[in-house]
Amino acid sequence: MLYVESWAPEYGAPIEHDPSLAPSESVIDPTVETTDWRPITPESSVADAVEAVCFVDGVRRVDARLTLDEPEGPIPGLCGSLGVGATHWDRSVPRATFGDIMIERLAVIGSGRVVDVPPVGNLKYEAVSVAGTDPAELVRHFHNRMRKAEAVLSSRLAAEGHLVIADGPINELKPQSVIGYIKTHRVNYLGLEETEAVRKLLAGDRTPMFLMDGHIYARYSWYLKLADIPGGHTWSGVVRCEVPASLGIEQAAIYADIAAVLLPQTAPPLHVDPRAPQNLVPIGALERELRRNLGDPGLVYRALRESIGQSTNGAA
Amino acid sequence: MSVGRVIGTEKTSTQVFRVVLDDDQYLQLDDLVVVRTQVPQAGEIATYGIVTESEAVYEGASYESDTFRIAEHGILPAQKVRSAQVQVTRVDPEVWVSPDPGELVERASGEARDKALYADEMGRPLPVGIGRDGQPLYVDLDFFDGRKGGHMSISGISGVATKTSFALFFLRMLTGRRDIVGESGANMRVLVFNVKGEDLLWLDKPNVLFDDDARTKWEALGVAPTPFPSVGFWAPPRKKSGDVLLADVAGRQEGVQPFAWTPREFIDEGLLRFLFTDAGDSRNQLSFVEERVRSQLQRWAVDVVGRPGAVVIRQPPVGGWRRGAEVKLEPGERIIEDLPSLVESLEEFLDPPDGEEPDRTWSGRVQGGTVSAFMRRLYAAQSRLGELIRAGDSHRIDRATAQVTVVAIQSLHDLAQRFVVGALLQETFAEKEQTGQRLPLSVVVLDELNKYAPREGNSPLKDMLIDIAQRGRSLGVLLVGAQQTASRIAQEVMENAAIRVAGRLDAAEAERSEYGWMLPSTRARARLLKPGTMVISQPAIPVPLVVNFPFPPWATRREEVSEDVDPFVGL
Repeated sequence: MLYVESWAPEYGAPIEHDPSLAPSESVIDPTVETTDWRPITPESSVADAVEAVCFVDGVRRVDARLTLDEPEGPIPGLCGSLGVGATHWDRSVPRATFGDIMIERLAVIGSGRVVDVPPVGNLKYEAVSVAGTDPAELVRHFHNRMRKAEAVLSSRLAAEGHLVIADGPINELKPQSVIGYIKTHRVNYLGLEETEAVRKLLAGDRTPMFLMDGHIYARYSWYLKLADIPGGHTWSGVVRCEVPASLGIEQAAIYADIAAVLLPQTAPPLHVDPRAPQNLVPIGALERELRRNLGDPGLVYRALRESIGQSTNGAA
Repeated sequence: MSVGRVIGTEKTSTQVFRVVLDDDQYLQLDDLVVVRTQVPQAGEIATYGIVTESEAVYEGASYESDTFRIAEHGILPAQKVRSAQVQVTRVDPEVWVSPDPGELVERASGEARDKALYADEMGRPLPVGIGRDGQPLYVDLDFFDGRKGGHMSISGISGVATKTSFALFFLRMLTGRRDIVGESGANMRVLVFNVKGEDLLWLDKPNVLFDDDARTKWEALGVAPTPFPSVGFWAPPRKKSGDVLLADVAGRQEGVQPFAWTPREFIDEGLLRFLFTDAGDSRNQLSFVEERVRSQLQRWAVDVVGRPGAVVIRQPPVGGWRRGAEVKLEPGERIIEDLPSLVESLEEFLDPPDGEEPDRTWSGRVQGGTVSAFMRRLYAAQSRLGELIRAGDSHRIDRATAQVTVVAIQSLHDLAQRFVVGALLQETFAEKEQTGQRLPLSVVVLDELNKYAPREGNSPLKDMLIDIAQRGRSLGVLLVGAQQTASRIAQEVMENAAIRVAGRLDAAEAERSEYGWMLPSTRARARLLKPGTMVISQPAIPVPLVVNFPFPPWATRREEVSEDVDPFVGL
């Protein structure tokens, strides 16, 4: 059967077909919660006690590409801005507010070189270096800084007692109330019988949890369906969540139930977001807010050119 | 105290800007604000303005349904942003630059408020109502009393009873604030026509419904809340009232004097022309006949011995009748004591009974049909004018006896109303033309102005009102005209009104060009104005002001009259 994806084409698809649905290299144990693989519909009352949920996300933007002109040849670099923050969903009011927004600006230079970028107006670029000269490596380093900042913020909010929905997979071993939220499925972790359960999910349902191990740490994961998409295929509106296995299976099951109840409530209708329903309303709004906080890209680029141009000409 | 800042997401201009409000502050329509901007080389410039619209939005919401996500489910963070649109009224000093974005916006109070309203530049700021802040708003009297401009025009749909009420309120301010009005107030005379009900016949009586709330407002305006201190009431005589004239009023008997003109006065002042005030009359040649008859009457009419006010029409001697000459009535002569007898006398010249030709010296060279039409008008006028023309002692309206003269014409036929208005306006204007002095001022309040100075057609009354509108300002004759629709009034009359006022307007009417002086936002509101609220435009301020005027301390109906005197005393 053939379907049109629900996401706008420029965002790709929630299911990436290359190398999509390839068997996972991790060790998968689908029997940790139950052997009876059928959709689970949690009671909505499981979320009653959850007063607040924090959605954590980050954005990044390359402000300018740099080149360090050296006798031994050009060395690549980049100036980039990243923002990390949280949307606090206070369910008792209910009201959502932005919080903990943090903006970092990095000047990443290859070949292990550290070059100070002169101050650009009020913007201060922190100089860092990477060993290689591959531009992709520069971006990867930049991206990792954002992931790290997200993880730090998630841990802090969890430590403050919040339930945290973090965009992307988790990379933390210790037991904390952080649920990783994965919008796209690049890899199929399940066998044919379990996959059938995913295909049968209705909005608000989740699959039983399965253990993923074999990476650097173990986590429990499950699929849940945010919304029934009219004309959608069986994987439409499905996302994957994960929590650290160190929480224990019982606590993990509670979080899985809560997520199945709460996340569909924050999913946008199709027309509201090009990545609906997976791009949750609090996360979509947070991304927009973070981008706004990064400043106007045109202005930043112009300021960088002027500032670096002046200092280079001054030195020469 | 600042209420917010100038919005920087859109351009500010020298005309309008918007204010984003602090969480704990608000601005409402008509509030006055000031922004101070540092302008390079020019120093600090204060921009004053008036709030013309108030707005609020969720910042961050891009879909209408986001409202639910924000307010009901609370999953979408957004900020409630309240803002206000401001129309600039003044830039001081006059360096016309827009206010800077991000500047603090303050409420204009005290001195700043006066500046925003140009009150500091008004020679004689007369309070004309109360703004939303509870403080008086002003008009520059120089633009009413003829120094720089004159006349006032009041528009508004009827039934909400605001036009006359506002006119009277304005008169009370005019007569009550001698400290501001100055020499113009000395011996000022006001002529008011009562055209509906008997609303204006109680101006000298306290209103029983007047309360402390209204009292505070009057005190803020600086006028003691009392009825008009000096009012004369005049009404046409009752029909068939015999030798003793009785005023034709229903509600009030005492203090209302009957008025009438003697045939002598009618002829001397050429009042005949005010019997031909229908706008259609000017299209045929009736006015030629009327002019001829009018001048013939002035030459031929002579007083009768022992019959004051009455005349007889007799061929004048060579050189004409001496002024004040009296003759004895001869047998067969018809004495003219009222309109019917005058018409009968004219009939002898214009429409002889036995089919003879009309007397050319009276009719002029017009078609027989025109003469007949002229006579038909006169026959019709006979009954409609009733007792307004009668011989005997003079019962002219004496405007000198009181500061405000109320003439009750509500019981008269349209034709008779126009006659009375025409006669009195002519008298007032002629008086001032003779002296050539602007002072003392003569103010005429005329409701239903569209009856007297309609946009289409011509009539002697319309000509006179246009004359007053154009020349009255320098002669000290000031017209306060009221009408439902300004679009139906002769343009010359509207154009000469320096001060324009509107109450609630019909939606279609509000869109007409006659109300071009209103801001779009004011126009929209003009349909919703409540009684007691008016929009005022004046040359001294570039934007119209919305004012409230307080409940009157005088009665407007018999039931409202509070009798301080116990009617049973002495029984």
